[in-house]
Amino acid sequence: MNNTVLEVKHLKTYFFTRSGVVKAVDGISFGLRKGESLCLVGESGCGKTATALSILRLIDSPPGRIIGGEILYHGEDLLRCSSERLRQIRGNRIAMIFQDPQTSLNPVFTIGDQVAEQIKLHLRLKHKPAMERALYLMEQVGIPQARERMKDYPHQFSGGMKQRVMIAAALSCEPEILIADEPTTALDTTIKAQILDIFRDLKQERNMSILFITHDLGTVAGIADRIIVMYGGRVAEAGTALDIFDQPKHPYTHGLFNCLPNISAGRNRLTPIPGMIPSLIDPPEGCIFNPRCEHRMPICSEERPKEVVLSGEHFVACHLYS
Amino acid sequence: MSKGLVEVENLKKYYPVTAGLLSRHVADVKAVDGVSFYIMEGETLGLVGESGCGKSSLGRTLLRLEEPTAGRVLYKGSDITRWDKRQLKELRKEAQMIFQDPQSSLDPRMTIGDSIGEALLIHSIGSEKDRLERVEELLKRVGLEPEHAMRYPHELSGGQKQRVGIARALAVTPKLIVADEPVSALDVSVQAQILNLIMDLQRELELAYLFIAHDLAVIGQVSDRIAVMYLGQIIELADRTELFSHPLHPYTEALLSAIPLPDPHQKRERILLQGEVPSPVNPPPGCRFHTRCPRVMKLCRQELPTLKLLEGNHLVSCHLYG
Amino acid sequence: MKKISSKVGGLKNLMFIGALLVLGLILLLDIYLVDKILAPLEYFYLFFAILVIFYGLYPLYVNRRLTKYYWERTKRHRLAVFGLSFIAFLIAVAIIGPFLTQDPTKVNFEEKNLPPLGFSIQQSVYDLKTGEFVTRETPGTWKHLLGTDDKGRDMLAMLVSGARVSLQVGLLATFIAILIGTIMGVLSAYLGGWADMGLMRFTDIMMTFPFFLLLVFIIFIFGPSLAFIILAIGLTGWTGTARLVRSEALSLRTREFIMASKSLGASDARIIFRHLIPNVLSSIIVIATLSIPAVILAEAALSFIGLGDPTVTSWGVVLHAGQRTLDIAWWVAVEPGIMLFLTVLAFNFLGDGIRDAFDPRSQL
Repeated sequence: MNNTVLEVKHLKTYFFTRSGVVKAVDGISFGLRKGESLCLVGESGCGKTATALSILRLIDSPPGRIIGGEILYHGEDLLRCSSERLRQIRGNRIAMIFQDPQTSLNPVFTIGDQVAEQIKLHLRLKHKPAMERALYLMEQVGIPQARERMKDYPHQFSGGMKQRVMIAAALSCEPEILIADEPTTALDTTIKAQILDIFRDLKQERNMSILFITHDLGTVAGIADRIIVMYGGRVAEAGTALDIFDQPKHPYTHGLFNCLPNISAGRNRLTPIPGMIPSLIDPPEGCIFNPRCEHRMPICSEERPKEVVLSGEHFVACHLYS
Repeated sequence: MSKGLVEVENLKKYYPVTAGLLSRHVADVKAVDGVSFYIMEGETLGLVGESGCGKSSLGRTLLRLEEPTAGRVLYKGSDITRWDKRQLKELRKEAQMIFQDPQSSLDPRMTIGDSIGEALLIHSIGSEKDRLERVEELLKRVGLEPEHAMRYPHELSGGQKQRVGIARALAVTPKLIVADEPVSALDVSVQAQILNLIMDLQRELELAYLFIAHDLAVIGQVSDRIAVMYLGQIIELADRTELFSHPLHPYTEALLSAIPLPDPHQKRERILLQGEVPSPVNPPPGCRFHTRCPRVMKLCRQELPTLKLLEGNHLVSCHLYG
Repeated sequence: MKKISSKVGGLKNLMFIGALLVLGLILLLDIYLVDKILAPLEYFYLFFAILVIFYGLYPLYVNRRLTKYYWERTKRHRLAVFGLSFIAFLIAVAIIGPFLTQDPTKVNFEEKNLPPLGFSIQQSVYDLKTGEFVTRETPGTWKHLLGTDDKGRDMLAMLVSGARVSLQVGLLATFIAILIGTIMGVLSAYLGGWADMGLMRFTDIMMTFPFFLLLVFIIFIFGPSLAFIILAIGLTGWTGTARLVRSEALSLRTREFIMASKSLGASDARIIFRHLIPNVLSSIIVIATLSIPAVILAEAALSFIGLGDPTVTSWGVVLHAGQRTLDIAWWVAVEPGIMLFLTVLAFNFLGDGIRDAFDPRSQL
């Protein structure tokens, strides 16, 4: 397994709030390989964003705290390295893109300055070459008339264009890993398709590793090599894209597919997952999905299921398969 | 042709753009720019379009929550744009609205019961006891417990709040409901529950819906007919199956092909639209879509196409046809 | 009865209007038939009390669960709880205290400059027998727990009386200011357009008005009276509230629940009173709690520079008197100072606590 660039082991990130301890990430492990795109899928509150932020130690503290686990970047534990070293890695080796392009850009600087800022900081370039590189990157992500538009301010850019700028900025140091947290959620359908194309190109042309976080299974199908389905701060099921889409095993994964509206089917009722997303302060005992599960067994509310390997990389945390 | 429940004729809604000290009127945001359609009793018309295309403005103007700039809205044959305050209050009993954001569509200082009962109080329907019973009945109908009446919005989950929003709209036993992106703020598993509820209620209460969404898959799930909106105008309107199987307008084609399907095997020919939606303040001359259209012709830049009725009750506004 | 009450929106409003009518009737009687049933300020208090009962305590009682929720959240602030208890204590003292203490205006030169209990000072006293000044140890006495001033007036009685004055000024002036500010702000936001423009420019002009000069002017013309001081502070101090309420109401107006209420057929009045005002109320309460101490300090400052009402014993007046005898009787200045300090602190703590309790963003 030499081509694993990032490995997360038993990560636990809790938020210590006044109303109780929110176990946002409760023991998650996965590895990200060179040149692959790995998707973290789940609904709101499943801990996917907290996982991404934990990797770069960007969790707001207080109330959040990473209370256990390891995050190994080429064998080096990011949770234990100095903050000096972490700064070198952030942006330089591991870059991150956020959901809302509106708030990720500073409104008082020009677009060009903001992209060049990153480059100056990490590559120690002078202003001029940094601007040249910024221009190159902006052209790479498909911003038309990039040379003129560099002098514009963020409010003059549309949402899709801002997201392109964010990608350009993230690419400035040729990072090895790109963490993208719901990068297409705030965008319109046609623009979303354009941005997804950029991600596919990045993976193919630059052999970049992408950790892609989303709630949208349609987006996942378009981009993922491997998928991790998260529920309630834990991994429900993981496997290659084909494993998950063709042979979903976990009842939650099943449920997710069943409740998707589908234009090729008739105008029928959907089969939703009953109930609500559980509170992570006081999660259900045993398997966290058991109150909503249609295959519930007595053991489900008693014991937390272990991960069962089904085939190759496909594993599931469910008592049905143990 | 049989008269619909609602007929909209050449409806326009402009928002003035003002500038300077004296608030000089400099331009208009042409949010809705000449839209005509009808909705039959008990049917769902889906209205799909990207952000900023004017679909929400259309929904609000249709109910005269905002004053139309021009055009007519016939409700049961009578033009509501000329109705006075008293008549409008009567209209509120017949036509209701469901809002997008369950977070902000409920008054945080009112109990759920008060929110649902507000309409009954406004229209002085029933005695206090009747009202309480009605609220209880409505809560049960949308899948909540009578105990929820005493709760406050912050004590409910997003999906529950959206159920309350639906119950509130149903309180006055309306015939028409404008649902403005009712599920786009919800998680997939909850979204399916709400979509089912909306469809069940229609069957039971013979409601007509104007269902507004940006997600074609969701629209396809609930609609009988679908209208596609682009920059303030309807560019295509057809039966659900007809639209999905034979999309005519290049924009509809692109929109359909851009839906990310939850199926990694599907290798579709994707039509990737270039560029972005132009500003509704200064829409392009001729066909609004010509700046992004892959099949643009010379005529498109000069002349605005009109909606033409084609075979199979299929309306399209494009120079390619006719 | 049921019919009427449903017209005006419930029994509560009916009773409220009834209470106001009774008050108005007494006022009319006062003017035309009988002389002096109540002093002018007392009308204020009654009106204020009626408002507090119907629009403060009653809703808190009806929405017990929400009240409990906010109380739970306020309770997490230790300092806010301290503030609240101190204010409750102060109110109790202001209401019943004067009946228990001595007359704060009673002069007794034989007991002048007595230190608080537990302290003792050297002071020269005129000895009646020898007719000479002798330096004698004067200890504090049980009769005057907090000592006396240079005219032998009881400090405890003066502080209690001062608490009453300070709370009167603080609550009433703030109430007037908040009332005007809220009306201005809500109208401005809801009407928009030219009305908004006009009201806000008026607010701007009021903001530039030199408040202190106005006070001096009023006192010069009408003489230093507590009622005028209250009115002057109230009538000039509403501008900040108006602006804040306007901006809050503006952002609320775009919220979907206002649109939802409109789509249910609600009238403008209903939207303003049932949705807009209850939702800005939390910020109003916060600015009110935070502006009460400012008003109390303003009154103290006025009294301190000698512009206060000389017929009432406020903390500022005592403080003013005490600074002259600071070298021999430090407690005369220090005691009202401590009271002012604690009161201002208590209101500020409470204000902060309430703000955090009302702010849904501090959910964590």
